[in-house]
Amino acid sequence: MKDVFFELVDSLRAFLETVGQMTRFFGQLLLLTPRTLLRGGLLLEQIDNTGARSLVIIMTCGLFVGMVLGLQGYDLLQRFGSEESLGMAAALGLLKELGPVVTALLFAGRAGTALASELGLMRATDQLAAMDIMAVDPMRRVVVPRFLGGVITMPLLTGIFIAIGLFGVQLVGVEFLGVDKGSFWSQMRGTVELGDVWEGLIKGSVFGVACSLIAVYEGYNAIPTAEGVGRATTRTVVISAVVTLILDYILTAFML
Amino acid sequence: MNTQTGPDAGAQPARACDADIAVLRDVHYAADSGKTVFRGLDIAIARGAVTAIMGPSGTGKTTLLRLITGQILADRGEVIVNGKNLATLTRKEIYALRRRMGMLFQNGALLTDLDVFENVAFPLREHTRLPERLIRTIVLTKLHAVGLRGAARLSPQELSGGMARRVALARAIALDPDLLIYDEPFAGLDPISMGVVMRLIRSLNDALGITSIVVTHDVREISQIADASYILSEGEVVASGTPGQLKEHPSPVVHQFMDGLADGPVEFHYPASDYHEELLNGQGR
Repeated sequence: MKDVFFELVDSLRAFLETVGQMTRFFGQLLLLTPRTLLRGGLLLEQIDNTGARSLVIIMTCGLFVGMVLGLQGYDLLQRFGSEESLGMAAALGLLKELGPVVTALLFAGRAGTALASELGLMRATDQLAAMDIMAVDPMRRVVVPRFLGGVITMPLLTGIFIAIGLFGVQLVGVEFLGVDKGSFWSQMRGTVELGDVWEGLIKGSVFGVACSLIAVYEGYNAIPTAEGVGRATTRTVVISAVVTLILDYILTAFML
Repeated sequence: MNTQTGPDAGAQPARACDADIAVLRDVHYAADSGKTVFRGLDIAIARGAVTAIMGPSGTGKTTLLRLITGQILADRGEVIVNGKNLATLTRKEIYALRRRMGMLFQNGALLTDLDVFENVAFPLREHTRLPERLIRTIVLTKLHAVGLRGAARLSPQELSGGMARRVALARAIALDPDLLIYDEPFAGLDPISMGVVMRLIRSLNDALGITSIVVTHDVREISQIADASYILSEGEVVASGTPGQLKEHPSPVVHQFMDGLADGPVEFHYPASDYHEELLNGQGR
């Protein structure tokens, strides 16, 4: 019993230490951000790396999530005879929940793992140490542009996911299942407010900061071995997923 | 302790040194794990010379380089580089000092997302605002010096181990440093590449008028080009002098190291309990 207690205390202490280190790391990133913003080339490279290269997976998944939403939504709503509300229900679902959350999970799986493993490998092959010896701060040159690339692209990817998702809902609901096109769009336009759009984008942005921070932190602090890099990559996905869902609850509670 | 320099068989004649570029005085250092790495280390690196730091594996040779480059700080004692005590410098001042240093990592540590040309151009682009044409000229000059001008557009993945090290060397000299540090430059190289790297260390040192520190345990190779050598063991300098002087050194550790003997003061076996007892009575692991 005593051992379990001490183990719990140790785990709690390790958790708090990690949170403290990550907060400090986040502070360093923010301090270095203004200078990195001046180096547009580095930033564009990372927007391409984290954003453009995630487009295919985001668009494909967005389309299928939208199509499934169309099928499920139609099945549910027709039981109440209100299948015309499909557009409104799907739009709210995508904007407020599915869009930002699924995009964040996909982002962690595609871009987050790529960032963590790249930084981890750079650590393991002494590339970060070499930069440091060349009097080039690796945080400023390598980490901050990658972090900012993720922060900028996540809300954009969220927007694209939602737009493609709505197309998927429309495809299944209107084109395949015969929901009235006019009702589909007019109910959506009548119900969805600008605040709902903002909710989606704010969530996307917050998840973007969280997932990018976790990825660069885990990669930069990876143990410089094959096992260490693998562990950093796994931790990136697991922690990003858990943190995204916890943040989602907190944000939803505040925004409702 | 002052470095003794002097002529040696096969080595270039040592030059008179006006001052030491790096001095370590009574340096104590323990790793994060608590293991003592140095206990009272005294080393002086003569300006303009090729100085070899040798010693059995695990004696802290790489740690010594990290102390000289300011990546870590000594627990006690002084590390003075270019007349500046590293412990008193801010991060910005240490970075300013590092701009005058170049370091060659064991694996080259080339940036894998850049090609050979861009790797050599990297320090120039980061630290200067030179026009593109001048950067191109400097990069090609440095690559020519290491014999790899023709490989400028290859990616690091296309290079052999020896070529990668030569590109890293071109990058290390891109900003014309005063001090060039080599961490195990001969490890894993074939005899031809080894000869090339060896010749480059000596010729760059003389042609550019710089100081070189070479951490290695390739005794035979380094003996041909070093002006002075230090042998470290158990956290201290056990011998110093020209490679020729070290060969005649009375210390058994130096004798074992210079002659490459498997057993001696540095034991073949890692400390363990009695062999027979462990085999007969051992339960599981």
